[in-house]
Amino acid sequence: MEALTVNPTRLSAPMGAMLAFLGVKHCMPLIHGAQGCASFSKVFFTRHFHDPIPVQTTALSDISAVLGGGDEIVTEAIGNILAKVTPDLVGLISTGLTETKGDDLRSIAAALTQKSVWVSTPDYIGGLQSGWAAATEALITQLVQPCMSVTQKVAILPHASMTPIEVEDLKALVESFGFEAVALPDLSESMDGHLGEKQATMTQGGVSIQAISQLGESCAVVAIGRSMLSAARLLAAKNPAMKTIALDHIGGLGATDRLIGELMALSSDDRSDRAVPASVKRWRARLQDMLLDSHFTLGKARIVLALEADQAVSIAALLSEAGAKCTLITPTDEGGYEKSSLSPFRVGDLWDVEQIKEPWDLIICGSHGEALAHRMGRKHLEMGFPQWERLGGQLESAQLYHGSARFLATVANKIAH
Amino acid sequence: MLTAPKELLNESACDHHTNKKTACNRPTPGATTGGCAFEGAQISLFPYAEAAHIVHGPITCLGASWETRATPTSFSGRDLTQVGLTTAISENDVIFGGEKRLSASIDEAMHTFNPKAIFIYSTCVTALIGDDIDAICREKAQQYGLPIVPVHAPGFIGSKNFGSRLAGEAVLEHLIGTLEPESTAPYEINLIGEYNVTGDMWRYLPVLEKIGIKVRATLSGDGRIDAIRTAHRAGLNVIVCAQSLVTLTRKMQERYGIPWVSVSFYGQRDTSEAIRTIVRAFGDAALIDRAEAVITEEEAKLSKQLEPIRTRLAGKKAVLNTGGNKAWSFASALQDIGLKVVATAVGKSTEADRAKAREYLGEEGVLMTKPAVEQPKVIADTQADILLAGGRSLYTALKKKIAFVDVNQEKKVSYGGYDGLVAFGEDVIAALDNPVFKVANREAPWRH
Ligand code: SF4
Repeated sequence: MEALTVNPTRLSAPMGAMLAFLGVKHCMPLIHGAQGCASFSKVFFTRHFHDPIPVQTTALSDISAVLGGGDEIVTEAIGNILAKVTPDLVGLISTGLTETKGDDLRSIAAALTQKSVWVSTPDYIGGLQSGWAAATEALITQLVQPCMSVTQKVAILPHASMTPIEVEDLKALVESFGFEAVALPDLSESMDGHLGEKQATMTQGGVSIQAISQLGESCAVVAIGRSMLSAARLLAAKNPAMKTIALDHIGGLGATDRLIGELMALSSDDRSDRAVPASVKRWRARLQDMLLDSHFTLGKARIVLALEADQAVSIAALLSEAGAKCTLITPTDEGGYEKSSLSPFRVGDLWDVEQIKEPWDLIICGSHGEALAHRMGRKHLEMGFPQWERLGGQLESAQLYHGSARFLATVANKIAH
Repeated sequence: MLTAPKELLNESACDHHTNKKTACNRPTPGATTGGCAFEGAQISLFPYAEAAHIVHGPITCLGASWETRATPTSFSGRDLTQVGLTTAISENDVIFGGEKRLSASIDEAMHTFNPKAIFIYSTCVTALIGDDIDAICREKAQQYGLPIVPVHAPGFIGSKNFGSRLAGEAVLEHLIGTLEPESTAPYEINLIGEYNVTGDMWRYLPVLEKIGIKVRATLSGDGRIDAIRTAHRAGLNVIVCAQSLVTLTRKMQERYGIPWVSVSFYGQRDTSEAIRTIVRAFGDAALIDRAEAVITEEEAKLSKQLEPIRTRLAGKKAVLNTGGNKAWSFASALQDIGLKVVATAVGKSTEADRAKAREYLGEEGVLMTKPAVEQPKVIADTQADILLAGGRSLYTALKKKIAFVDVNQEKKVSYGGYDGLVAFGEDVIAALDNPVFKVANREAPWRH
C-alpha cells in the first residue's frame, strides 16, 4: 500500500493533546473543530479508561466553518462551559479543519479572559505522542515562570503511553531519593480509575496550574521518550541551573540502572549506595532473577510490537534483555528511532504487520490486534491504545525494576500457555 | 459541499423541526455532545461488509472509530466493516489537494480487497479544500465497472442524524434501482436503519419469515450491495427506529411507489406491534391471519420464558434516564419483563415521544425534564429499586444505594425481538442481585 492506510494504529495529534490536558487539574479540554473530533475522542478514551472523560468542542457547523476567524465561536464556547463549570484552565486544541481555514489560536487565546493554554495540532501531522508532547510544550511555554535558583524539586515529563501507575511509580522513585516530584502531565491522579466523591465534570486530579507555573525551580527535568525531548529543552531554558536527564525509556534492567545512576548523581549523597532505598535494591534482584527465569521462553520468542514509538522502544529493550526478538511497527517516528534501533523498526499500520514475512508468535498492541491475531492464529497481548476489552491497564506497569519483572512474567506466561 | 442542501434541512419528517428550535440547527459551541455527520454516515453504511469504506481525510476521523461497532454479518468473505481504510492525508495533500492520493487509494483497495462496491466518505478537511470526490468516483466506477459511491457528510455539516440522512441520499442516488432482481416474492420488505448491532435483526427475522415476509434488502445490517441495488422492487419499506431515514423512504415512495412504515423491535409490545404494522401495510387478509397466529404463538412461548423473570422482578420499581424515543421504547421493554417504570427522562424527547412516554407510564408516572437534578428525589420519593441510565448517573445510584444498569454500555448480547427480552431480563436481575453497588460505596474505616 502506498496511498492507502489500512487498519491504522495511528491516532490523531488532537487526541494526544486532549489526553495531556486530562493530566492537568481542574482542566477542560476544548477542541476547536467540528463536533465529531471531540465526540470520537471522548468515546475512545471513555472505553479505554472505563471512566467518564471531560472534553468540549467549539462545534463548528457549516457556516461558521467557512466564515470568521474562530475568535467569536471560541469565546462563545468558553462562555457556555463557564455557565456549567469553573475550570482552572481551558486547554484549547486546534484540528485539521481550523488549521486549514487558518484560525490563529495564539491571538484568540491572548484575547480571552479565561485562563487558557492553546496548542496547534493539525491532525494531518503527527499522532498521539506528538500531540501529547505539543500540549506539554505549550503548557511549559505558556505557564512556567522563569527562575534563577533551584529547589529539591524534580520535574518529570512522561511520554503519552506511560500508564497512570507508571507515572506514579516514577514519581515515588524520584521521591525516595529525597526529591519532590512533579509530573507534567500527570495522569496518575486523574485517569487512574478511582471512585471519586462525586461525578466529575472536569478533571479532578492531575498537576495543578500553580505547580506547573513553579516548575522553573526544579533542579532537574527527567524526560522519558524522545517525543518529550523538546519539552525538556523548553523547560530547562526557564532556568540555567536546571539539569536535563533525557532518557529514551526506563524499561528493563539497563535503562533503570541508568536512571538510578542519574538520581544518585543528582542527590547530595553523591555516588554512595546509601542513597538507594532498600526496596529498590530488592526489586532489582527480583528483576535479575526474572530475566533468568523467563529467558527459556522469551529467548525463542518472536514478538511484534505495534505501539506508539516511545512505548515500543521501551518494551523492546526490556524483552530483548531476556533474548526475545522484537519487530517494531509504530504509527509515527518523530524521534528518529528507525535509524538507531537494534531491532527491525518501521513506521506502518496493522496491514504492514500482516505482511511481515518472518514468523512470529505474539503481537503486543491495542485492541485492534485481537482480530488480526485471531485471523493469523497468533497470540495477542493488549497494551497501549486502545484497551477496550481489557480492564486494569491503567494500573499496570512495564518499566523500572518491579514493572519490568512483572511484565516479563506476563509475556512469558502468555507465550508458554 | 460546504452548506447543507436546504431541501434536506427542511425535511418535514424531522420531528424536531416544528417543536424545538435548535434540534436541527447549529450545535451550541461548548455545550455539544454527540457525533458528527460523518459518524452518522459511517454508522449507516459501514455494515455493508462486502464493500470497502474509504475515509478521505486526516487520521482523526477513522483512527479513533474503526472496529468500534459490533454489527455482525453472514457474509463469508473478509468482513470489510472491520477493516479500517483511510487516505490519512498529509500536510502535502492539504496544500496540493488530496485527489491523487484518493484515486491511488481506490486502486489499492480494489486490487487488495476486490470489494463489491466502494464508499468514499468526505470529511471536514477534504470538503474544505474542495477535493472533487464526485469526479474521481465517476471515473473509477467506469474503470472498474462497479458502484463507487461518494458520501458527502463532512462533520461540520451537522449532527450524526443528519449524516445518516445524507448516507441515505447517497444510497438512493447511486445504488437503489441500478440492478433488476432475478425474481421477486409477494411480501418483500426493505429494512431501513437496522444495522444488526449485536445481531439484533437475527432475533426477529425468523419470526417474519414464518409469517411469509421476506427481506429484499437492508440499509444496512448484514446488507448486500446487489440486494440494495434492487431495493426498488420491494413492496414495503420498514424503518427500524431511525427517523433520520424518513427522507429516503419518502423519496422511494415518490419514485417507485413503495409505501413505508416505521417500527421498533424492542420488547414484546413493540415487536408484536411492528409485525402488525407490516402485515397491515400489505393489507392481505390471509397474511394478517397468519401474523396473528404467529404472534399468539410467540407471545405464549415468551411468556413462559419470562415467567421466572417476572416473578423475580414483581413489585420492583425502575427509574429510566435515557434520551429520545428510548424514553418509551426502553420503558416498554422494562414493563414487559415485569418492572414498574415509575419515571423516565424526556428532556431530549420530541412531543410525540413525550406523549407516548405518558401513555406507557400512565398517569402517576414521572416524566423528568431535568433528569440530572430530579433523579435523586424521584428515586427517594418512589423508593425505586434500580436506575437505568448513562454512566454519569452511577454516582446517583451509589448514593441512593440502589442497583444500576448502564444503558450506554455496549451490550454484548442482543436485546432485540421477542427472546432478546429474556437476555435483557437476566441482565437486570444480575444487576439487582449484585452486592457491588452497596459494597463499593462502603464508608472508609477512617471516616467512622
Ligand atoms: S468532525 Fe470532521 S474532522 Fe472531526 S471526525 Fe467528524 S468528519 Fe472528521
